[in-house]
Amino acid sequence: MDPLLLGAIVAILTILVLFSGVSVATGLLIIAAGFLVVFDGLRSLELMPEILFGKLDNFALLSIPMFIIMGASIASTRAGADLYEALDRWLTRVPGGLVISNLGACALFAAMSGSSPATCAAIGKMGIPEMRKRGYPDGVAAGSIAAGGTLGILIPPSVTMIVYGIATETSIGRLFLAGVVPGFLLVALFMAWSLYDTWRNGSEMTLRSRSFSLRERLEVLPRVVPFLLIILGVLVAMYGGYATPSETAAVGALLCLGVAIITYKLWNPQLLWVVLRDSTRESVMILFIIAAAGVFSYMLSSLFITQSIAEWIGTLDVNRWVLMGFINLFLLIAGFFLPPVAVILMAAPILLPIVVSAGFDPYWFAVILTINMEIGLISPPVGLNLYVINGIAPDIPLKTILKGSLPFVACMVIAIVILCIFPGLVTGLPNLLMGPAV
Amino acid sequence: MNIYRQIVGMISTLCGWVAAGMIVVSVAITCQMIFVRAILNESTIWQTEAVVYLMISATLLGLPYVQKLRGHVNVDLLPMILPPSARKSLVLFTLFASIVVIGVMVFYGYEQWYEAFRRNWKSDTVWGVRLWIPYAALPIGFGLFLLQLSADFLAVATDHEDAASLGASE
Repeated sequence: MDPLLLGAIVAILTILVLFSGVSVATGLLIIAAGFLVVFDGLRSLELMPEILFGKLDNFALLSIPMFIIMGASIASTRAGADLYEALDRWLTRVPGGLVISNLGACALFAAMSGSSPATCAAIGKMGIPEMRKRGYPDGVAAGSIAAGGTLGILIPPSVTMIVYGIATETSIGRLFLAGVVPGFLLVALFMAWSLYDTWRNGSEMTLRSRSFSLRERLEVLPRVVPFLLIILGVLVAMYGGYATPSETAAVGALLCLGVAIITYKLWNPQLLWVVLRDSTRESVMILFIIAAAGVFSYMLSSLFITQSIAEWIGTLDVNRWVLMGFINLFLLIAGFFLPPVAVILMAAPILLPIVVSAGFDPYWFAVILTINMEIGLISPPVGLNLYVINGIAPDIPLKTILKGSLPFVACMVIAIVILCIFPGLVTGLPNLLMGPAV
Repeated sequence: MNIYRQIVGMISTLCGWVAAGMIVVSVAITCQMIFVRAILNESTIWQTEAVVYLMISATLLGLPYVQKLRGHVNVDLLPMILPPSARKSLVLFTLFASIVVIGVMVFYGYEQWYEAFRRNWKSDTVWGVRLWIPYAALPIGFGLFLLQLSADFLAVATDHEDAASLGASE
């Protein structure tokens, strides 16, 4: 059978299987096993455990559970609330300080936890009621937190970026740096929209903030500064060349657990177990998808599907930006339904050779892909962050949350356009600090 | 029936503890490795390999526990819009397909482990780990995952659990 036709059949069946409600990882194994049996015979199945084991046999993957422990130990404490309070008190003189501090808190918490739903939940619990109390429209209050939460997968350290780095064999350190400026760009766009929307709705009063004394501002710092220092230390260790991402993540995990135990009295075994349980659940889920996607990729490659798709796209005489437009559309649609990790693992190894041969930078593409995944997190039908917000503010209708999130989707699309016009915003920082990519 | 589900659930929870313990031990070993290399200025031999095998074992042994917690991410859009009877049939079908493919992983995982044991395969490093030790996680992890899936299948089939409660949606 023509590998391209076979590729189309695999794509359709994969969509059907994943939509049946089976878990993503098991679904990938089912598809891989089915096609291997039909086209390579029953004995080809004996390779599946070996490939799965081999996919996990990678020291770089260790950074995933380590960063997840780091995030979980912060997310299980009052660190989110403290961070929110600290920023609120320090940004009090800035016009529209509350929404600014909320988005700032989202960005910082995202950097500490690396998780979108955790950021939404931690900052939203404090931020949404406070914003509503001070007269911000419900849509702005819910939408800004839902959108701010998505920064978790872009601002380093990001588990999504680690997965991309492993799937495409690109430098994780460089990917982290590539996410920094686009992260700030998104925060700036989110803030600009929130302020405009609040002002447009005639809520100027809410843009004026209350004031805090210096003492009130200083008293919140001791609880927040240790975590910020750990994050800074992790990044310095990684970029100073002292240790690999996995090693620094392990030290970061140990220190975050330590700070959580000492500062937030997390020594109760039950509370500590919650951190470990959540970390184990998240890590196992992601690592199983990575391993299963490895088996799935092996099937695609052994049936010459990956190579044929790359060759076919290479023969198409289309403008590279049209190609990038279609790729973005595909990623956007995939992101509406599938978790970012699954989309990256299935699509990145196939798309990256095409993207690179069209003259695009792999690190720039990682950021574009991640922003597409962020859009999926706040878009129906399965936008995870929308449901997290709905869970913490049940009296705001899902429709209002969705309506409030839509302008932020537009901000992300604008960010993609800006990054397409100025790719240096992505590649500049890694090139400056690590030298040009080889 | 309930006893079977309870026993399988307890085994899966135990697996979760073991997996969490392995991850914590990996953190400790990695930190020890950095200390030995950076502070004591000595070379490290076994640490990298040990933490990788611990992570693999934690992943495979954690599978039944994550299944018990409904933590394996899925897209439950279609099952949720179906009427209850059709949803139950679809969930039973997907669980059955999962059981078959995980059964395949158990069978060939065992073969892989047995070959490594019989031929005394060792890793290609200075430490030279006997590979049947880490490979044991394949049949054990997938075997226990199979048990948890079978318990879930029975629970849905006998209406002890609502089909809608299975799976952690995206």
